[in-house]
Amino acid sequence: MLPYWTPVALSRDLAPLVVMPVVVDGAELALWRSASGRIAAWADRCPHRGMRLSHGFVRGEALSCIYHGWSYAQSGQCQRIPAHPDLEPPEAIRVPVHRAMESGGVIWVALAEPAALPPALAGLVPLRSVTLDAPFDPAAAGLAESGGAWRGTLAGVAVAVLVQPLPENRCVLHVLADGAATPAALVDASRGVETLRRQAEEALA
Amino acid sequence: MILYDYVLSPDCYKIRLLAALTGAKLTLRAVDFHPGGEHRSPAFLAINPAGTIPVMQDASLTLTDSAAILTYVAARSGPAWLGDDTPEMRARVALWLAFAQRLSASIGKARTHDMLQKPADIVACRKAGVQCLREIEAALVERHLMGDAFLAGNRPTLADIACFPHSMLAPDGGISVDAYPAIRLWTRAIRALPGFVEMPGIHRLHDLKPEPAGVQA
Ligand SMILES: N[C@@H](CCC(=O)N[C@@H](CS)C(=O)NCC(=O)O)C(=O)O
Ligand code: FES
Repeated sequence: MLPYWTPVALSRDLAPLVVMPVVVDGAELALWRSASGRIAAWADRCPHRGMRLSHGFVRGEALSCIYHGWSYAQSGQCQRIPAHPDLEPPEAIRVPVHRAMESGGVIWVALAEPAALPPALAGLVPLRSVTLDAPFDPAAAGLAESGGAWRGTLAGVAVAVLVQPLPENRCVLHVLADGAATPAALVDASRGVETLRRQAEEALA
Repeated sequence: MILYDYVLSPDCYKIRLLAALTGAKLTLRAVDFHPGGEHRSPAFLAINPAGTIPVMQDASLTLTDSAAILTYVAARSGPAWLGDDTPEMRARVALWLAFAQRLSASIGKARTHDMLQKPADIVACRKAGVQCLREIEAALVERHLMGDAFLAGNRPTLADIACFPHSMLAPDGGISVDAYPAIRLWTRAIRALPGFVEMPGIHRLHDLKPEPAGVQA
């Protein structure tokens, strides 16, 4: 288990009541945000019959499994079993919970106590997250490491790229861009991200 | 308006969905697409020589393509869905209605291959399906950057209805939808529309449904 924060999503893409699957250090997690805005990263496996919790749904401050509707509080503790509404679910029915935090418009998860905080991303706005069916080669994209992110320009717009490694040589790039850029320039930068992905995947083919 | 319909078909569902959203009344004629292969029967081919569903008949009019049927239902029952606010919006609606054919030919084919054992080059279908989803994702990102939440502009139109079903059902064809955050938010917005109807594999937002009170499971 790696002792640092892994970027898993842009804050904007995890709206209240949204749950999504993410992978950290090979572990499949369900990342979700409650109605009041609290985020949580859990093992993506329902303690009942193992259904993926990322297929579930958020009601208020709890996450419910899509299969039989067992619902889990922020602590991961099962709080309700619809088939037995009068039963207080035993303490032992609990989803493993991981560290999750938001910083710089990005959601970060760590499976082990991280040694350092996520990088500072001042002056940047979230652009988009893209999945590459290839490893990321920052040098080929003309980006260089600085302050914990890969930085440079895409279509003339200053960007910072954060890498979330996936199994099988894939990865997710979380791209932030100059907060002063116009919407039209950000559209160009988004197309620049597409080009970057195409080049990375063609290099692999 | 008579719709030749098959409950598991995304191209038929998009017509039922638009009809529900606009209050249009449809008379459904169930086609035994599987296992009966009724769309290949002489009687059906006499109506649509292409042997595809959906088909719509209304008085003397016969429409054999989902884009045309969506356009007709909207023009009759909900003209706002045509997206004629600006030349740009109108052109984008045309773009996505045409694009939806690529979804049928990729994700649609992968799905009938996996679910109904129809022959297909499954690797090629999945690859083309991923490319389609990436294009929808990129377009939604661009619309968001320009201040719009839907494919053709700042409100839902036929563009969204045409592309929504396959975007939801891709996993039936072995195509993951995990990697598309903009598609995730967009499909949630469509599933929350007033009058939204479901099909097997596509559900209303659960979080909008009332908490079940002591259901037996
Ligand atoms: N161009 C047609 C395509 C619709 C389509 O491909 N429908 C499928 C069912 S969802 C079909 O009829 N396939 C014929 C077959 O598999 O033989 C439309 O958009 O209406
Ligand atoms: S598997 Fe989750 S509630 Fe049954």
